[in-house]
Amino acid sequence: MVQRPTEIQQKQWLEEGYLVIEDAIAGEDLRRLQRAFDTWAEKCKADWLESVEAGQASPTFYDIPNVLERDEVFIDLVDHSSFYGLLAEFMVNDMIFIGPQARTVPAWPVSYSGWHQDVPFSNPLHIKVQVYVNDVDRDGAFAFIPGSHRRGTGPYPAVQRLQSMPGHRVLPGRAGTAILFNTYGYHTAMDNPRGQPRKSIILIYEKRTPGRLDPKAFAAIAHRCRTPERRRLFGLEDPTCP
Amino acid sequence: MPVIDAHLHVFAKASSEFPRETADWLPAEREEPVEKLLSVMESHGVQHAVLVQIGGTAFEHHAYLRHCLKSYPDRFRGIGLVAPDSRTPEADMDRLAEGGGIIGFRLFELGGHRDPFQPADVRAFKTYRIWKHAAEKDYVLWLYPRASESHQPPYLLEAFPQVRVVFNHLGVCPGKGKFELDEKGRPRIETPQYNPAFHTTYRLARYENVTVHLSGQYAFSREPYPYRNLAGWHRSLLRNYGSARLLWATDFPWILEDPGYGHLTEIVRELLPDLTDHEREDIMGRTAQKFLRFGPGRT
Repeated sequence: MVQRPTEIQQKQWLEEGYLVIEDAIAGEDLRRLQRAFDTWAEKCKADWLESVEAGQASPTFYDIPNVLERDEVFIDLVDHSSFYGLLAEFMVNDMIFIGPQARTVPAWPVSYSGWHQDVPFSNPLHIKVQVYVNDVDRDGAFAFIPGSHRRGTGPYPAVQRLQSMPGHRVLPGRAGTAILFNTYGYHTAMDNPRGQPRKSIILIYEKRTPGRLDPKAFAAIAHRCRTPERRRLFGLEDPTCP
Repeated sequence: MPVIDAHLHVFAKASSEFPRETADWLPAEREEPVEKLLSVMESHGVQHAVLVQIGGTAFEHHAYLRHCLKSYPDRFRGIGLVAPDSRTPEADMDRLAEGGGIIGFRLFELGGHRDPFQPADVRAFKTYRIWKHAAEKDYVLWLYPRASESHQPPYLLEAFPQVRVVFNHLGVCPGKGKFELDEKGRPRIETPQYNPAFHTTYRLARYENVTVHLSGQYAFSREPYPYRNLAGWHRSLLRNYGSARLLWATDFPWILEDPGYGHLTEIVRELLPDLTDHEREDIMGRTAQKFLRFGPGRT
């Protein structure tokens, strides 16, 4: 059943710019997702290491390439009922899917990312959903500055240590936790100097605007997008697409 | 405030007096003497420079560098080369540093595990003894690691926080097979515009003894001077490190013909036009003066 935001969720989304949904993916769905993630991460790792050696990729995070084409479980995650209704509500039922990042972040003394916004306020509303594939404690967890998605807040200092950012909140979670966040807001991955690699899938959505999505961007998975809603989400409604 | 060119190379023709290794890009008959450097420095108001060894790691390969440092002790500091696989790196470093002109050593290799998912034990790194000795003797390490090792520096920085480190050439870590010579016979390094170093060397600003030199633009850019497609890299380094941790350098002699030494003295103004005067002075000399301990020198 598609979830709609509760009044409390609506309020938190507007005021703080993020929501945490525990056990968004659970049970056999989660185990299937974990198996597919681990299988493809292992299969694609050698190519990634080659890209790192060639200076084409960073050694501090690793994305499974073309992950939607690997297993249908990843496509099913994009419009998963546990959070899709919330997204639809926040996007006023008119959004596109930009892309996934099936990302493993190895332990490293420093986070691979500093505090940042993904898009400027001039960009159409841009939301990410980060789904933890393994249990994530504070080391390596996603972190967000509540309220920083609103114009006129800040400025936020350029801190050298991520944990020095005033007002931030670290969001650890069990495998299957989904975090929705407005990417106008400042966020990062916390340092993970000694912990387990963090595995997560980051799904990127945006308010639909004309010409934003290449109609062929998801042509490779068109045969797996059977409903009009899903085809529209992936920009496959263009009749010239397969 | 002095202007200091923080990274360049001078070399003599290969000879018994000044032996050195040769390569396609460093033929035996080519020379770029220190007097030529001094002439362009003089013409453009540059007081000091860091001479970086080129042409071999052996003690005798450093003959010309040592000659220049001895001849002009008030103008230059030297960076030597030490072989990561040396059996006696401590003695090699001390012998080169004797007399004080050579203040540090350049490393292209760190020697840790290449798989970032493997645990990192710095004592097993091939260059561990070099780092340890640099910490004990206060030598500067001049890093230009390959892309496959670009995740390794912070483990060493954690182990040796007192070691002063200068990341070379905008913090880029060149990829295997991406080095070639351009039509002018100088290095060209193919690097993606979305530079993977954003997630490695650019993230190391929290280590207080790490700096980065702004140079080598000609080797990374596909555009002519002033290489505006690299302005974002410069802004990002400035945002992360601040002007007090950035050093300007030309990479002489590779830039003499194109775009010319004079243009390089303006590149910080071109690519970081919003700097205050104080910030620009930091990058053009104050950072190097403090970090590399140049004396007051001529003004």
